[in-house]
Amino acid sequence: MRFITLITKNVIHRPMRSALTALGLSVAIAAVIVLVGISWNFERSFLAIYRSKGIDMVIVHAGSSNQLSSSLEVGMVDRLRRIEGVADAAPTLVDTVAFEDQNLASVLVDGWEPDSLLFKGIRMLSGRPLRRGDDRSVLLGRVLALNLDKKADDPIQVSGESFRVVGVFESDSLFENGALVLPLTVLQKMMGREGQATGIVISATSSDPAFLDSLRRRIESQIPGVAATPARDYVVADTQIRLAKAMSWTTGLIAMVMGALGMLNTMLMSIFERTREIGILRAVGWRRHRVLVLVLGEALVIATAGTLIGGVLAAVGMQALMLSPTARGFIDPNIPIEVLGLALAMGIGLSLLGGLYPAARAAALDPTEALRHE
Amino acid sequence: MSDGNGAPILRAEGLVKYYPDGNVQALRGVSLEVRDGEFVAITGPSGCGKSTLLHLLGGLDRPDSGEVWFRGASMARLDLDAFHARRIGFVFQSFYLLPTLTAAENVQIPMFEGPWPRPERARRASDLLAEVGLSHRAGQRPTRLSVGERQRVAIARALANEPELLLADEPTGNLDSASQEEILRLLGQLRDRRRITLVIVTHSEEVARAADRRIAIKDGRILATE
Repeated sequence: MRFITLITKNVIHRPMRSALTALGLSVAIAAVIVLVGISWNFERSFLAIYRSKGIDMVIVHAGSSNQLSSSLEVGMVDRLRRIEGVADAAPTLVDTVAFEDQNLASVLVDGWEPDSLLFKGIRMLSGRPLRRGDDRSVLLGRVLALNLDKKADDPIQVSGESFRVVGVFESDSLFENGALVLPLTVLQKMMGREGQATGIVISATSSDPAFLDSLRRRIESQIPGVAATPARDYVVADTQIRLAKAMSWTTGLIAMVMGALGMLNTMLMSIFERTREIGILRAVGWRRHRVLVLVLGEALVIATAGTLIGGVLAAVGMQALMLSPTARGFIDPNIPIEVLGLALAMGIGLSLLGGLYPAARAAALDPTEALRHE
Repeated sequence: MSDGNGAPILRAEGLVKYYPDGNVQALRGVSLEVRDGEFVAITGPSGCGKSTLLHLLGGLDRPDSGEVWFRGASMARLDLDAFHARRIGFVFQSFYLLPTLTAAENVQIPMFEGPWPRPERARRASDLLAEVGLSHRAGQRPTRLSVGERQRVAIARALANEPELLLADEPTGNLDSASQEEILRLLGQLRDRRRITLVIVTHSEEVARAADRRIAIKDGRILATE
């Protein structure tokens, strides 16, 4: 008989309790994977926008936490283009609109100038891109077009105004795939923000971090009242992304701690019930560390089962979320391997922590007292 | 103090032990000696301290005063885990077999502390079960065995690491008379074959009669040695 056989038999001997503990743990792990995975993808998707377009820096109004709350004069773009090290600059106006008939509550709408660098990294699947002089024209991201059941040349109502879909595009960013793009001037008019942008993106002549740092200082000294941030730092520091990550980690950790407490309870009960059995093991010469390893091994078997089931639950949960119209287009159902690895390691680590106290108690049992236990 | 012919394997001097509540004395200064190869029966009424004495002799518990020596070495200074694993075997009245394991697997339990690799453990367990006449029941769990068979498995387990000393606490206490005779005969055979020293706590007059020497205990003291 192998040592692992003994461990496994002890776990299987109490099938219902072991299964329920593993299930509780699996739900906790699935929660961590889904929540952290979503926030992780959220950040990754934002980064993809900037990477695919060759955007090195984002300019917002100083003190604004993100583009939605920022406001800049579009005329500032020409001043920026003249600064040494700036290869190109483009204004963008970002807002959200609702398509209530399709139950889409908050769809991103971008206002871009036709031919701006923001169209880089976008592949037209049908129709054409925006052109100068377009007025009632709109581009739909692939996912949004699917959700709205629209194709090129279809009419569409945006915030109560009539437009025509001139093209459907695909982007490396999930956010853009779930968004729509209007000519900047049209969106400014719709939102009552004529001449304004929420941010200006910059493509620099070099992406070297030291170069970008000196460019940042040049921009901020030449144009007072703006904050220039390298694209990666901008995404990482974005308040909404940080909030999403913090909330997902906190919720996930609480779930995980509950799972570990379940493990603690199960193992304590198991030890209590098997006090005499452990007394026998000690009486036949088992050293304390072997008893410790036995109990921790049992916790590990349950934890491993729980984490594996949790991984499957998370994958199923992600797909189930995609059935929700409000989640579609905003959630990437692919679980990042880093998140999966981290959640599995946390699940096993915390479960072992939950099993440690019962294991230490079992190992500390005095054989005579254990044999006397009723 | 001993009727045996070999060198002393076990010696106890002035053993005193209080029950866990700390007020009542279970043992009141017990001294004895057991010689190599001897079969000693410890007898006495219930609650007289027999099992407590056996636990002290086997190093499962420590005396409140007094000392136990195994082959001249004080038990207080022994590595008790190694001692339990390699030098001594225990048999209990209630068998204490692990319910999740088969008979063969139960016999292998002490061997995890021995030097044997897995195939050797399985082979040795098979040999031990053959020695106690249970080869045909090796794959059965304890619940599928008769009480006599369970005690034989427990005896095979106690012999797993080839101990020099076998301590048994009422090994026939839960058995019918046929099983009792069977276990007694088996212990006698094992003693002859393995030259093992036997110390048995018993209520049974029959078991006591089979011993080389009987130590009678009453109220925590040795009443007589015969």
